[in-house]
Amino acid sequence: MNPEPSPPSTMIDLIKVSKVYPPDVQAITDISLTVARGELVFLTGMSGAGKTTLLRLISRMEKPTKGMVDVAGIDVIKLPQRNIHLLRRKVGMAYQDFKLLPERTVADNIAIAMEVVYCPRSFIEKRTRELLAQLDLTRKYHTRAGELSRGEQQRVAIARAVANNPEIVLADEPTGNLDAETTGRVMALFKQLNRKGATLVIATHDRSLFQDTPHRVIELRFGRLRSPHEAPDQGGEADEDAPVMFEET
Amino acid sequence: MRFWAVVLRHTCRNMLHTWKSQCMTLFTVSLSVLIFTFFYLIYSNALHIGEELDDDLRLVVYLDEEPAPPLQEEYRRKILKFDQVDRIEFVGREQAYKRFEHILGENSDVLTGVPTDFLPASIEVYPVRSLDSLSRIKRFSDYLQTLPGVLKVQYGKEWIERFYAFIQLMRVIIILSGSLLIMTTTFMVAHTIRLTLFARQQELELLRLVGATNNYIRMPFLLEGALQGCIGAGCGMGALLVLFNWITLQFAGPAAITLLPFVFFDWPAVFAIIGIATLLCVVGSFSAIRRFLHL
Repeated sequence: MNPEPSPPSTMIDLIKVSKVYPPDVQAITDISLTVARGELVFLTGMSGAGKTTLLRLISRMEKPTKGMVDVAGIDVIKLPQRNIHLLRRKVGMAYQDFKLLPERTVADNIAIAMEVVYCPRSFIEKRTRELLAQLDLTRKYHTRAGELSRGEQQRVAIARAVANNPEIVLADEPTGNLDAETTGRVMALFKQLNRKGATLVIATHDRSLFQDTPHRVIELRFGRLRSPHEAPDQGGEADEDAPVMFEET
Repeated sequence: MRFWAVVLRHTCRNMLHTWKSQCMTLFTVSLSVLIFTFFYLIYSNALHIGEELDDDLRLVVYLDEEPAPPLQEEYRRKILKFDQVDRIEFVGREQAYKRFEHILGENSDVLTGVPTDFLPASIEVYPVRSLDSLSRIKRFSDYLQTLPGVLKVQYGKEWIERFYAFIQLMRVIIILSGSLLIMTTTFMVAHTIRLTLFARQQELELLRLVGATNNYIRMPFLLEGALQGCIGAGCGMGALLVLFNWITLQFAGPAAITLLPFVFFDWPAVFAIIGIATLLCVVGSFSAIRRFLHL
């Protein structure tokens, strides 16, 4: 009798990944990074450091110029276009630009993620209400997304990203437009997901989010991972040969 | 099952979103189907009429002498050498006289004193019943005229030529209206689908990002094309039925149309026309998807 194949312990594995945008913009250079199953990782760095590019590479919104990207056991580079949904169903992403449908209601915007995996209507409604309650948006259920404030739109984008309880959640500046209280609610939601076993990568330059965190913090600078031995915000060059994995404190 | 429910919901949403162009497309498809099927109906009825008239279609070859059996066999061989025929009948002078007498009926006494061999012997050639035989019949007649001992060849030349010209005209019209049908269904549907694609571009991009399969994204557009074809063709066929009933009512009574068979398409033909129109619309939407939907 063959034993059931165990899920991979490494959820995200990047090896020597580089991304160059035409004509010659080096967004990411030789990044090697491993994120374990169930880990919560903060990805930090200044604007333009390559955080968003890195998340886009993980979710196969972009293909790297060179290197290898493996997500939840899927070789992302070799994944054919027709099978890309297999990856996207494992990865929930909250985009920096939200990617909401302004003419549709908040509920519709969240439901869309569950509809594509054929969840029953009753489940979709229940889950949508539950998420809206957690993010303090209950009253906005029937409001059109275009009529919301940026902070509210951001929370809707987060709700959609986590609606399917994905194995991996990628959040790009998830608290950029939120006040302290709402930031706390969003982080509580992320931590709840993490406790349930989801792997989270949160790209942010909001230091308050990871200041006293027990989780790993990875810093990107000029498209490279910054060495742990380097003093933060010094602007120095990273040790190119050593892939950096900040240890949990 | 859930997949189709979702696809149907998306299709309805698409169609409502671009309802103006949907209505235009439906109208165009209906009109194209109506024009094509109207001429096709006339054509198919003309073919039936042609078949009915074919019963009387024969070439009568008058001979100067009554042929002996070996000569009859020779004539038969030469006729068959030119074309396939349904049958060949030899009519002797006496048989021709009897026929004539039968035709005269009560007035046959006018033949009193007339010798029974005053009519020439003849060969009656019945061509194979097809429209092609109509087109060949003149050449056939010319050929028979060249056979030895032939005095004259007679056939319903005028009506055959007119009928054949009519059928030829109908064929051209059907080809033109068929081309119109193909162009309108494919291009109009492709255009409407393109509008829908542009209107939903943002949503399609999002669907892709949240894990929708290619089929999940494409299928509503294919279904939209199929619905446009099916509903449009159905409306066109409905309009044709109304027109057909109006024509038959209008010409009922003393008109010649009552003497000729004028029938509507049978159900398999109706379904075939709707099916073909639907298929053409699906092709139209498929081409739009291929060109404008980049997954």
